[in-house]
Amino acid sequence: MIFSVSGNHFSKSPFTIIIASMVLTSIGLISLLSISVHQSSDILRSSFFKQLVFLGPSLIGLLIMIFIPKYLIHKYIFTIYFIVLGVLFLPYFGRTIAGTYRWIDLGPVGFQPSEFAKLIIVFSLAKYLSDHNLEMKNFSSFFFPIIMVIIPAVIILKQPDLGTALVLLTPLLPMLYWAGARSYHIFLSLAPLLSVLTAFHALSFSIWGVLMIVIIFLERPKLIFGLVIYFSNLFLGLLAPALWNSLKDYQQNRILALINPELDPLGAAYQIIQSQTAIGSGGAFGKGWGAGTQTHLKFLPVQESDFILSVIGEELGFVFILVIILIFTWMILKMVKLGYSSKDRFSGLVLIGIASLFMAHVFVNIAMTVGMIPVKGLPLPFISSGGSFLMSCFMMVGIVMNVGVDSTE
Amino acid sequence: MLKAENLISKQRYYIIVGVVIFLMLILLSRFFYLQIVRYEKYKHKAEINRIRAVTVNAPRGLILDRNGNILVDNYPTYILTAIPGEMEQKEKIFNSISQYTGIDSSIIAENFKKYYRAKFVPTRLMKDLTFHQISILEENILDLPGVNYKQFPERYYPSKINGSQLLGYLREVNKPVQEKLGNPNVYELGDLIGWSGLEKFYESQLKGTRGVKYLEVDALGREMEEVKGYNNRRSEPGADIKLMIDADLQLLMEEKMKDYRGIAVLSNPKTGEILAYVSKPDYPPNIFTGKMLKDDWNEVRNDPHRPLMDRVITGLYPPGSTFKIITALALLEETLLDPSKEVECNGSYQFGDRTFHCWNETGHGSVNLQAGITQSCNIYFYQMVQKLSLSQWVDNCFDFGFGQKTGIDLPYEKMGLIPTEKYMNRKYGKWGWSRGNLLNLALGQGDILVTPIQMVQFINQIATHGNAGRLHFVKEDNEEKGIRPQYSDNTWNKIEKYLLSTVSDNQGTGRSADPKIKGLIIGGKTGTAENPHGDPHAWFIGFGKKDNQILTTVILVENGGHGGEIAAPIARSAYSRYFLPIKQSQIVLKTP
Repeated sequence: MIFSVSGNHFSKSPFTIIIASMVLTSIGLISLLSISVHQSSDILRSSFFKQLVFLGPSLIGLLIMIFIPKYLIHKYIFTIYFIVLGVLFLPYFGRTIAGTYRWIDLGPVGFQPSEFAKLIIVFSLAKYLSDHNLEMKNFSSFFFPIIMVIIPAVIILKQPDLGTALVLLTPLLPMLYWAGARSYHIFLSLAPLLSVLTAFHALSFSIWGVLMIVIIFLERPKLIFGLVIYFSNLFLGLLAPALWNSLKDYQQNRILALINPELDPLGAAYQIIQSQTAIGSGGAFGKGWGAGTQTHLKFLPVQESDFILSVIGEELGFVFILVIILIFTWMILKMVKLGYSSKDRFSGLVLIGIASLFMAHVFVNIAMTVGMIPVKGLPLPFISSGGSFLMSCFMMVGIVMNVGVDSTE
Repeated sequence: MLKAENLISKQRYYIIVGVVIFLMLILLSRFFYLQIVRYEKYKHKAEINRIRAVTVNAPRGLILDRNGNILVDNYPTYILTAIPGEMEQKEKIFNSISQYTGIDSSIIAENFKKYYRAKFVPTRLMKDLTFHQISILEENILDLPGVNYKQFPERYYPSKINGSQLLGYLREVNKPVQEKLGNPNVYELGDLIGWSGLEKFYESQLKGTRGVKYLEVDALGREMEEVKGYNNRRSEPGADIKLMIDADLQLLMEEKMKDYRGIAVLSNPKTGEILAYVSKPDYPPNIFTGKMLKDDWNEVRNDPHRPLMDRVITGLYPPGSTFKIITALALLEETLLDPSKEVECNGSYQFGDRTFHCWNETGHGSVNLQAGITQSCNIYFYQMVQKLSLSQWVDNCFDFGFGQKTGIDLPYEKMGLIPTEKYMNRKYGKWGWSRGNLLNLALGQGDILVTPIQMVQFINQIATHGNAGRLHFVKEDNEEKGIRPQYSDNTWNKIEKYLLSTVSDNQGTGRSADPKIKGLIIGGKTGTAENPHGDPHAWFIGFGKKDNQILTTVILVENGGHGGEIAAPIARSAYSRYFLPIKQSQIVLKTP
């Protein structure tokens, strides 16, 4: 049996995850077909066809990830980490696509190394946190993991790809938490972020200030530490406007549009308003496949990738959205559960890392589609068109299959 | 290695599960809100969203002459527009357009800036594209996302006449104009609006009603199909207007006047119809249409002779000796003089401490009223006008409509100036003026200014004994009567006799106005109006009568010298053409 040759517990792998991801991919293809049939004269050049073609390499990636021995990953992951770091720099020497450096030009297909950086980060963090018998009660144990994540995140941020950079950061805290970090330390890591975010709203900033005092007081650190933590956070919050000015115009606009989409209906908020209109007008059961007016009159920008859910919401309605969100929820919870029940810490950390990556993508993409957070240019796993991303999603599923052991079967 | 134990606590596991479920519920509730709670709102919004109201420009009404010759026509041009938000690389697209059409891309960029309103509102890039240019663009339209074109009717002038100031010109509605007009829905940016002449006066008739098509459009600006059930409205072309102008006479007058600055107006006094209306210098009307070159326009605008100015209704001139008619009428009507009483003219006249001169320096000898008019003797009128008060004289001027607008169907008409006592007191102080001023006014000099159109109205009243029709180009249904100066038949008949002799008498100043046609009698008065701008202006106002037909002429040549020498011959050619019509029309249409 090939399964035994690989040395995996393949028979105990969670097959349901594959089934769920295939269902999601199919829903994506159905929507892409709707867009392609009604808008493209040449089906061979349509996003549907491209996605279909990329399904091949994606499934190969899936298989590789299923059968690659776990110990090999564990052994060589730091080497791979540094190689990938180098690769991340490569696109700066290539030509720009759509004003960004995130692609490596491989002839007819572009390739995004940052997609795979996500996987590498999860593995590296898992190895570091499981190998070192860290005293997670110490805040100093956060140091290397943060460095490990920040370096590639900054490179990607510079590409510039704010969305992917943020996604890259998301596994860090759940994995630290998983590894036993104290909630208070998680709070300290999140505090600067919250300080910056609330700084733009006087009331929120005041509430946050009070909240910090309460939490710090409950922890009862040394007075000097408490004061340093408290005031450095306040200072950071007050510094935020300066940071804000260092953002690019379009990033600022996206954030501003979130605060008040009606401000400039033809400018930054255009996408959000169009997306909401498309979704809202779909109603419970949608306008029917191929019948979405917002979609096919192309009022919706980047509908094949970032805003694919608007197309689904408009054409197939709330019922399908419900199904999609339920499947994602089930998948992510399944991964968390697999992590909980895995025997070794490395596997558990990898699973929780991947679950957070999926969660980040799903949440950010959907929240932006419905206008809850700024547009980040983040695709929806399995459903959005995009070769590298589809492949990396299936590879993550492969890893889940690889390290996860379904105890219920 | 892989030996580290998985140490996750049950509590932490549940917290993570809780966070995941919590976040997913937030998303789900948002969808529920958008798709179920607010469904109706967004459904409505989506309806509007996919539809774009596309305006269809209405062609303006044509302008025809009295015989149906087209003076002002339309021809279709194309304008190129782009939706700014849909052009990804503006510069590149502008360059491609430039390549396909041969139009400098900097002009396109300039237009884009000028017409830009909002990111998703079509912005004009170019106008007056030919069909050929459009077909090349159409072939390559896929390389030009956001670019679109539509038909746009422009004016063109197929006849040989200019009629520039009369017909007037159109201009584009720009932002300041749009604000001035008040209602932004009637005119869009880039629409044409009548800005002078008949185009302005009859704007509401000529304009037509813009149509609206509701089209499904995609974000590339590609217009799909018309949406049914919406209030699609066809564009209604503007109404044609038919002028009383006779293009044949108009052309003749333009040719006769071509070397001068001045005006020539022919009219039918009984009806008030204007048959020819020339203000020189003028300009070829086509310079205002699409093919207009910036240089041409600047040349016209900066010309010191002001070709844009309509001298007939806005030119203010001293009427000169033609006003001796008013003085004579007033004296006759008040029976203040004996027409046969003679006055001795030796070339000058002493009044107080001032010496007044006759134009004939050697003097006219013994002059009665008839000779005074026929030979235009100044001395006679210097003496006789003293029998009148200023207010008596002024009243007579007002009776003929001087100092007021004639109400002709053109915009911007001026009123001229008749110096009343009040005016004189204000200008010179109560004691600052004397009857000496009246001596000047009697000869149409001094503080008096008239527009040529007022002179047309004046001669029309003389020719019809006070029954002239209101002056007009376009006949109206409820033809209101013009002013009605009241004089006795005796007065009218005498004045007519004197004016006829001015042309028929051997010594008459207007004798060169007579084309000598059997049965045609010509009457008229010359004027040589002194003015501060150089040589005197040459006037001739007159009428020709044959059978039941009357034609009046008002000719003015600025700085032309003696009215009898330069203005009267021009009137002669008008009489001869009008009363000896050529069978074939002289109008040869230009090729468009």
